[in-house]
Amino acid sequence: MTRENVPSDYANSVIYEIQKAFWDERGNGARFRLTTVGREYFADRCLSRIHGESVAEIVKGIGKALAEEGITTGLSHEEEDRLVRLKIPGCRHQSVERRFIAAGAEPLMCVPANLVVLAVEAVLKRPAEIAEIKVGEEGCEVTLVLFEPRPDL
Amino acid sequence: MSELYTLAEAAMKVIQDRRSIRSFTEEPVSEEHIQMILEAARQAPSGENAQPWRFIVVRDAETRKRLGAIGGGGSGRRFTAEFVTKKMQERFAGLQDEEKKKAAFEKLTSGNVSAFLADAPVDIVVCGRKNVWDLPYDTSAAIENMLLMVTALGLGACWVIAPCIDVRDEERLHKLLQVPDDIKIVSIIAVGHPTRPHRPRPRLALHELVYNEVWGTPYYKEEA
Repeated sequence: MTRENVPSDYANSVIYEIQKAFWDERGNGARFRLTTVGREYFADRCLSRIHGESVAEIVKGIGKALAEEGITTGLSHEEEDRLVRLKIPGCRHQSVERRFIAAGAEPLMCVPANLVVLAVEAVLKRPAEIAEIKVGEEGCEVTLVLFEPRPDL
Repeated sequence: MSELYTLAEAAMKVIQDRRSIRSFTEEPVSEEHIQMILEAARQAPSGENAQPWRFIVVRDAETRKRLGAIGGGGSGRRFTAEFVTKKMQERFAGLQDEEKKKAAFEKLTSGNVSAFLADAPVDIVVCGRKNVWDLPYDTSAAIENMLLMVTALGLGACWVIAPCIDVRDEERLHKLLQVPDDIKIVSIIAVGHPTRPHRPRPRLALHELVYNEVWGTPYYKEEA
């Protein structure tokens, strides 16, 4: 993965416009076409930092990767039965979510949350779904639902 | 006594009689009927006459079981997410019967609403070539033709998108059915003999749907 810097406002405006094009085409269904975004980054940067088979270890490993690379300033979580509530402060992509909300639509995607979902599927072998992405003053709050392991195909 | 219809009347009757059937008897669908359904699909319009549709006829019980698991799993995830955020409760706020509401929530969040792919005698997987411009529209036209032929034959069918909406599930389908990357899996059509007659689902009135010349100007002067 190249280490060249790209201005955040440029990157985010392009990400927004690509997502908007998806939304214009698929409406709310667009979010389900974005569930694997971040997969390469997850494989390259995150998976090796996860050192245990629990949601806490997953959040810790991904949070570390994201913070070290300046993508977020942190990542924490709370668990309540099958729900996992992520708190994501200082995310560089937050302006994308804010633009969707300003346009009257729900955010389609959250890359840090996608990374956690990918990790839950890879490490815990459990399906997971992003239920809600909320954008607040102190960062984003994303609710995930975890499901029981799926049968092998 | 047989009824006589004009061609237009017959076409409208087939259109109006179509239902989404999710419960089937064990009676198999004949090969003759499968051929008529596929031929109806083949006659659909497509941009540039590209005919990008391709079909996989699945009768194997084990494969159908897996299709049901993928469809049910996808629906269950999405509807559970809708439920835990209370959006489903908002969507069903108009339903006063609490027992019916509870049953609907259970059916949706469990994924059972799409798992019936396992129980249909035949599932027809509709795919499309990606190297065309109008893949979703072309294949959707083919699917509607299939559904109308199913109805005309006295069979039942349901257009199921649940196993294909999410990229993750579509990838699992690709692997299961050995579909190459340059082909998109669009939908699965469950086909069989209905277990019972189904009532029509409500439709919005035309006056709610149609504008005159520009958006927002009513087409109908009085309610149609």
